[in-house]
Amino acid sequence: MPDSTGERLAHQLYDADGQVTRDRPWIIRTYSGHSSPKASNELYRSNLAKGQTGLSIAFDLPTQCGYDSDDRIARPEVGKVGVPINSLDDMHVLFEGIPIEKMNTSMTINATAMWLLALYVALARERGVDESQLTGTTQNDLVKEYLARGTYIFPPEHSQRIIAEMYEYCLERIPKWNPSNICSYHLQEAAATPAQELAFALANAISLLDLLKERGHFDEQQFEQAVGRISFFVNSGIRFVEEMCKMRAFGELWDEYTRDRFGVKDEKYRRFRYGVQVNSLGLTESQPENNAWRILIEALGVTLSRDARARAIQLPAWNEALSLPRPWDQQWSLRLQQILAYETDLLEYPDLFEGSVVVRSKVDELKAQAREEIDKILGMGGVIPAIESGYMKTALVRSMSERMSRINSGEQIVVGLNKWTEGIESPLLGGEDGGIFTVDESAVHDAIASLERTRAQRDPERVERALEALKAAAREGTSMMEPSIECALARVTTGEWAGALREVFGEYRPATGVEGQKLALGGDRVDALRQRIAKLEERLGHRPRIVVGKPGLDGHSNGAEVIAVSARHVGFDVVYSGIRLSPEEIVQSAVEEDADVIGASVLSGSHLELAQQIFDKLAEYDATDRIDVVFGGIIPRGDFDKLAATGVKRVFTPADYELIDIMESIVELVEARAG
Amino acid sequence: MTTTERGAVHEALVERARTLDKGAVARLVSLFEDRRPAAVHERVRVLELLDRPAGDEGSADRACAVLGITGTPGSGKSSLVGALTQRMLEHREDLSIAVLAVDPSSHVSGGALLGDRTRMRFTPDERRLFFRSQASGTDLGGLGPSSFQVCRLLSRLFDCVIIETVGIGQSEADIRHLADRVYLVLQPLGGDEVQFLKAGIIEVPHVFVLNKSDEPSSETSYHQLRSSMWLARPFDEDAPPIYRTSTVTGDGLDGLEADMLAAVDRASPGALASREPYFLARWVEDEWGRVGTRFLEGELGGAAAFVEACGGYDRAQLELDRRLRAQLARDGDEGSAGG
Repeated sequence: MPDSTGERLAHQLYDADGQVTRDRPWIIRTYSGHSSPKASNELYRSNLAKGQTGLSIAFDLPTQCGYDSDDRIARPEVGKVGVPINSLDDMHVLFEGIPIEKMNTSMTINATAMWLLALYVALARERGVDESQLTGTTQNDLVKEYLARGTYIFPPEHSQRIIAEMYEYCLERIPKWNPSNICSYHLQEAAATPAQELAFALANAISLLDLLKERGHFDEQQFEQAVGRISFFVNSGIRFVEEMCKMRAFGELWDEYTRDRFGVKDEKYRRFRYGVQVNSLGLTESQPENNAWRILIEALGVTLSRDARARAIQLPAWNEALSLPRPWDQQWSLRLQQILAYETDLLEYPDLFEGSVVVRSKVDELKAQAREEIDKILGMGGVIPAIESGYMKTALVRSMSERMSRINSGEQIVVGLNKWTEGIESPLLGGEDGGIFTVDESAVHDAIASLERTRAQRDPERVERALEALKAAAREGTSMMEPSIECALARVTTGEWAGALREVFGEYRPATGVEGQKLALGGDRVDALRQRIAKLEERLGHRPRIVVGKPGLDGHSNGAEVIAVSARHVGFDVVYSGIRLSPEEIVQSAVEEDADVIGASVLSGSHLELAQQIFDKLAEYDATDRIDVVFGGIIPRGDFDKLAATGVKRVFTPADYELIDIMESIVELVEARAG
Repeated sequence: MTTTERGAVHEALVERARTLDKGAVARLVSLFEDRRPAAVHERVRVLELLDRPAGDEGSADRACAVLGITGTPGSGKSSLVGALTQRMLEHREDLSIAVLAVDPSSHVSGGALLGDRTRMRFTPDERRLFFRSQASGTDLGGLGPSSFQVCRLLSRLFDCVIIETVGIGQSEADIRHLADRVYLVLQPLGGDEVQFLKAGIIEVPHVFVLNKSDEPSSETSYHQLRSSMWLARPFDEDAPPIYRTSTVTGDGLDGLEADMLAAVDRASPGALASREPYFLARWVEDEWGRVGTRFLEGELGGAAAFVEACGGYDRAQLELDRRLRAQLARDGDEGSAGG
């Protein structure tokens, strides 16, 4: 309220009528989904009942990569990191009792984003909801998939077309939908510096707008609106003052680029809108309870400053480095947001940092660094050439190795990891479940049963027609959105939709990155190992051979690539079989190549199932005695014995960071077998 | 293991390999890659078993086409081979194919990164298709030291052997000696056209494949290739075919597939035997260098005559090894006696 003299106080917020007010809180979300549509639906409804104000859906890897739950390659991953969605029938179950016309729904989905949006629209149509009321976001940013996350399907050019077509459809039909979300989150997870995160995200957005402009579908007014639909999804790390400045720099740079490069006149379309998931990279497996404080501090970075405050926030759970969170862990993170938004006075003030000389200077520095990098990328012809040439990947790999070496040397302190590592054991890890979440195994059966019901009940001719129409649109360059919605209504499955487009567009196989690795591997121990391998060649009649591959669908291939290159470096013949392999394919490679060792890398948590499948297949080929199996990846200590019981000879985790130790250990195995 | 036991193992392996059992074929391939002298005897035994008609099927007169696919890294050979084998197997239900993919070795460590499988997707457990990687042993690429040996085995088991090699230079000449038909894969505007012309490589292949025809520069490259062909091979009666292909769109694959299937149909039994002299000479050079080559030409009357006199490649290897060692020992004695 204005005081008696009518003057406003600088520390108070006023509404349009001049009344003192308080900001509305950001959208509070929890990134969740697991097991099955039914289990996830129960979780969403209970989260909404607890005061959550939006949905953030996690899909499982098969859904993200465009496979049905009963696909050979999909089975070990069904329901693991999110919910499996095979058809529109699953969507009905997932959203049962949830009014989608009132929901702000965020879907973390990329390569199959068009399909999930089509399913959501089809759901609205079957429920009689006007689709123009739908609100939400499909993440749909393939750049970070190619660079960091690995759940791409199609080559870049076709992926960009899909994104563009979704902008064109949404602007006309679902104006409140964000067709894509420029996502720099995973870049920071891959150790991008703040300037890199700014530059890569903005270069990505600029390249997308360049494409939309070039396609010429929009008139000037529509183009401005499309610019206004671009939203961002960013990361927030532990250096929270710098992160706050980064968010201010984001806002200013976006305003400047949209105005100067794209001539957007209306200020509201130039506004930088963003959601946040705070950093997971810095969350530790040791003393995991400390992560609760880290999450709180990271949340401050994106809420403290009103001018750079997030529109929507989701927080990880304290035990995310250990496993998927349990419902209680998620509730704990949800409560943090509620306390920050409703108990504190945070939302009562205008921007706290306006006029701060320190903040201004830091923001300017970040902006200058980012602009320099953006110019470089645009000079290469935009973000796609910068990916294809390996430029961006190389930059990230460098940042990651710098981070690792700072932590290893103790220059960068991580409490509980490289400093103050002794402590009282956390009681939070007690209890019957050991403080971690395990997926109900029946999830796979439920998903497959529902898929089979759908297949049995649908009209096969309508399915056939819908898929043909989709392929025709894909080939002819007309919009695939409406044909996808018809596919959804016809009960086409996720695997069929993606399969049809794979037929037309092909599947992207990026450079493996294997050749570009730089190894800190040399010296006497390497020479000694090479001599041992030469002796082995004499004894075996061939140079020792190792098949390195990633079974399953998680695309984080760096670890496997480092192992492949190291093994060649010490003298192995290495068959690198790449990512997204079924365990059967890996075993078949090893048998056909008459390999001595299989090295499998797994980060998705499916190592036990995958190991079992590998050994089943080896037995089928009668090759169990001929081939040793070693595993690497994010594997909890508690599972080592189980893997050993399956037959796995060695397990390597991020704790084994000395490559030469790993190589010696593998050579010992081959020597033992050679007798 | 006694000789009899080993013989029994081989007999069992050969029986399983005849059914194209992957594990058995793979182990026999390892035997044919084994460079230790003792392996020669085992190979002789396996070949005898394989060449002896088994049951109602006589494998001695099996006809097998050996097809060579070569080209620079990045031209898309592996994806092309992946797409073509899949189609050939689909269209011919009784056809079996073995793919031997050769990759360069590191000259520093001797190890190799064999990555071709990443570009191929196979139906699992499909016995009609066998894939094996091989290290070239040199960092230039080309055939490996045992590529010929492995072909001798695979050609007795499969209807078609496809050898995929990387590199330019010596390897193309080699592959022409090994393969019935050589396909050179080029990519648009790789600058390859000119390079191949210079190296005389354009004279090697029977067939040109301009891959990645979906790329915009493919049209220009096609015309450049046509005109350089006329310059490089003015005396060819028939201009070698040029196929323009894309594994992305599937364009041009029909024609190339038909070309390969026709080569399979033309294959005649025992064709590989005629190549034994060339590869014996190459083996001698690998193992013994110029001394060996001089000995083969001078003392033994040349590779062709020697192979014939010994009754085949393996016996020629054994015999040559024995005689050359004896000769060198004599030279050594004379040397020391004289000194």
